[in-house]
Amino acid sequence: MAEEKEVLTGWKKFYDTQYKKLLWLPFLMLVIAIFLISLQYARTGDFLYKDISLKGGLTITVFLEKDIDIGALNQELQRAYPDQEITVRSLDSLGKQIGFIVDSDMDGSQESNIGALVLSVSSAIKTPLAQDQYTIEFIGSSLGASFFRETIVAVLFAFAFMGLVVILYFRVAIPSLAVILAAFSDIVVTLAIVNLMGIRLSTAGIAAFLMLIGYSVDTDILLSTKLLKRKEGTLMERLIEATKTGMTMTATTLVASVLALIFSESEVIRQIMIILIIGLLVDIINTWIQNVGILRIYLDRKHRQAVHHESQG
Amino acid sequence: MNPKVKKLFTNMRVIILLVALLLAVVAIRPNFWNEGIAIRSILPNSSASLAQPPFSQPNPNTPPMSRERIIGINNQPILAVAEYYDYVESLDSNRTIQLITNKGSHTLITQENTETIVYNDTVRKTISEVITVNETINGSLQEVNRTVSRVVEVPRTEVRSLGMKDIGLRVYEAPTTNIRKGLDLQGGTRVLLQPEENLEPQDMDFLLSNIKERLNVYGLSDLIVREAGDLSGNQFVMVEIAGANEEEVKALLAKQGKFEGRIGNTTVFRGGQDITYVCRSADCAGIDPRRGCGTSDAQWVCAFSFSIALSPEAAQRQADSTSQLTVVSSPTGSYLSEPLTLFLDGQQVDQLNIAADLKGRAVTEIQITGSRAGATNQEAVYNTLNDMKRLQTILITGSLPVKLEIKKIDAISPMLGEEFIQNALLIGLLAVLGAVATIYVRYRKLRIAVPIAITMVSELIILLGMASLIGWNLDLAAIAGIIIAIGTGVDHQIVITDETLRGQNIFQSWKQRFKNAFFIIMGSYFTLVVAMAVLFFAGAGLLKGFALTTVIGASIGVFITRPAYSAIIEILLHD
Repeated sequence: MAEEKEVLTGWKKFYDTQYKKLLWLPFLMLVIAIFLISLQYARTGDFLYKDISLKGGLTITVFLEKDIDIGALNQELQRAYPDQEITVRSLDSLGKQIGFIVDSDMDGSQESNIGALVLSVSSAIKTPLAQDQYTIEFIGSSLGASFFRETIVAVLFAFAFMGLVVILYFRVAIPSLAVILAAFSDIVVTLAIVNLMGIRLSTAGIAAFLMLIGYSVDTDILLSTKLLKRKEGTLMERLIEATKTGMTMTATTLVASVLALIFSESEVIRQIMIILIIGLLVDIINTWIQNVGILRIYLDRKHRQAVHHESQG
Repeated sequence: MNPKVKKLFTNMRVIILLVALLLAVVAIRPNFWNEGIAIRSILPNSSASLAQPPFSQPNPNTPPMSRERIIGINNQPILAVAEYYDYVESLDSNRTIQLITNKGSHTLITQENTETIVYNDTVRKTISEVITVNETINGSLQEVNRTVSRVVEVPRTEVRSLGMKDIGLRVYEAPTTNIRKGLDLQGGTRVLLQPEENLEPQDMDFLLSNIKERLNVYGLSDLIVREAGDLSGNQFVMVEIAGANEEEVKALLAKQGKFEGRIGNTTVFRGGQDITYVCRSADCAGIDPRRGCGTSDAQWVCAFSFSIALSPEAAQRQADSTSQLTVVSSPTGSYLSEPLTLFLDGQQVDQLNIAADLKGRAVTEIQITGSRAGATNQEAVYNTLNDMKRLQTILITGSLPVKLEIKKIDAISPMLGEEFIQNALLIGLLAVLGAVATIYVRYRKLRIAVPIAITMVSELIILLGMASLIGWNLDLAAIAGIIIAIGTGVDHQIVITDETLRGQNIFQSWKQRFKNAFFIIMGSYFTLVVAMAVLFFAGAGLLKGFALTTVIGASIGVFITRPAYSAIIEILLHD
């Protein structure tokens, strides 16, 4: 085998020999992310910024027998409140518009906020609103109080079952730990970055975080198969082959997501795409440095043990 | 013919893909020129429910494209919802109109909406009465009916017309495919409910989850239930729900659902806690086979029955209270002296005679029966089964902790809407092109890039066909699931391509290359499926739709599209 081995140079050599030192990067990243999220939790009582669909907010229901352009009203209100999240929907009865609903994530405990919003609405539709033409409600989270607790428990269970499947599939425990750790790191580090960007998460954003599990698993299983199951060529050759396939996978998804981010007019799709893009970039480090490092340390030990046994026997 | 093309279309895996695509298109049934307006629901006792011949009664499970569509009224073509409502508004009462639908023509008579005003003053009125008098006819005393007139004083009333009564059809723009759009995409009904008394936070949580469960058990799953409040500190519950009509929502949520079975003055069992099982399958629930449907007073009446199981404690309570009763014999059989009376929210819904041989016995299985009327046989069956479903729902989910009053009920437009769908289609197209371009940059072969593009689009079509077939609502979570299913699909096609190219270089057999690629693919498939299965069973509403779509999408990929792709690439790359 030794004479077939191509001489590695440059970054390939660095990647081949320094995998233990490189491991510091993903672990440091994970520790910083956990620290940042804890800090956020200590400061705000929540480990993420929630938008109106997760947190609730202020709703104004206006009853007005007049055709209102919902899209234009939405844009006008968004211009008036650039920092607030506002959505407008129409109310219909028997095929006719009978009014509209303005949902906003404004703090409803201050009367002045409400007054200002009502005033903005009435100037946007160029109709003064009388007291009996609108009602004001505070709405709670659309997902319910126990949603986050339930989701975290469900995700932890999902990780446990994923680990079990990977153990059964590869018949060794190490790759399973690496797969779980990579999926966990992907989600946690991405969440920390999303928090740093000040993005307010919607229900769609939560779905996007769960999508990361799928992408994370794909590259990890590819890597584990190539390193643990295949016997052709040297370890480094197989690793580079896996990297090539894995990077193509990530690149296609990144290109598709970036295009979707640029051309989407919908806030919902944009949020999903931002989270996917960050998550995929984070996953590159977690798969090709963290997961590779863990697997190689495991293979080194196994190899040394085998040599040890041979020399003894 | 090019031998490669022939090889492609005779390959089993490719044929399976083509058949799946064909079935998907049949399930989606696209018709972008579908005209008219579709009937969502028919109000009971309205002119529409009395139409001749009757409308086929739509239900939530009817595929969108199979719904009856109105295309004209009298001689006027009707193509939009607004046109329909405008035309109906212009109609007068007590007129015969012809509703032309895609299934034929229905004749219906518009009804008048009247209001009776009762004044304080009185008027004299002559009424005729039938009285029985004793009379001597031919020397013998006989009872004879006589009609007599007399004058009485009654309060003065006036019947005022309020114009034509709503003809009772709820309609929406004709769908163009069988894909059901969810609350986020199509809108639905928004209901604001007010609890009778203020609730503590934990009671509110219980109420919210109870409402959600009740609607879910009834078969409505695309919904948002949340707490709301107003400036004066009133508490509300806001429900947004897709695909339901106002009547259903009212009937389900305006009832607290306190269900009780009493014998004499003793409550034997209560809904929710004492009922361990409610049968909903066809063998023990449905139109009562012994009583069936029949006419009475020019109306059709049907009876339903279904069985429930009681907890042992409730059965014991029943045994204790029946043991003190006496047996009464009647021509139809021997019964106990007190019947079992069923109450819903304090109102008696049914009274069941208890057979004599059940005296003092702890019976755990009970038949619940009831009946409903309708103007036609079909309507009666529909009403009866609907009533049964509602009662079953209440029995399964128990009562709400508090009575709710409906404050507002409105149709609400979607959060995302038509522009979103158009934009999403454009973005989907761009994303596919972007992914395919990246693949072309890596492999420099159209023979790889084009099949990958075809596979991605096939996955989308088969997934949408599946969604149409099982009738699940496409919402935001489902869209996220579709993205991930197709996204990981591309990942796996790259794995297949790389394994194929590598295998050809080192002269591996086709079988070995396929095995290599599918070892990786199945590994990530199993891992993803268990993760999603956990989210499906343990997670809350949003997670369920996401997990389900992801699993179905990934399964379609693993069993249909990816084997086909590997066959295509094998044939095209073979020299």
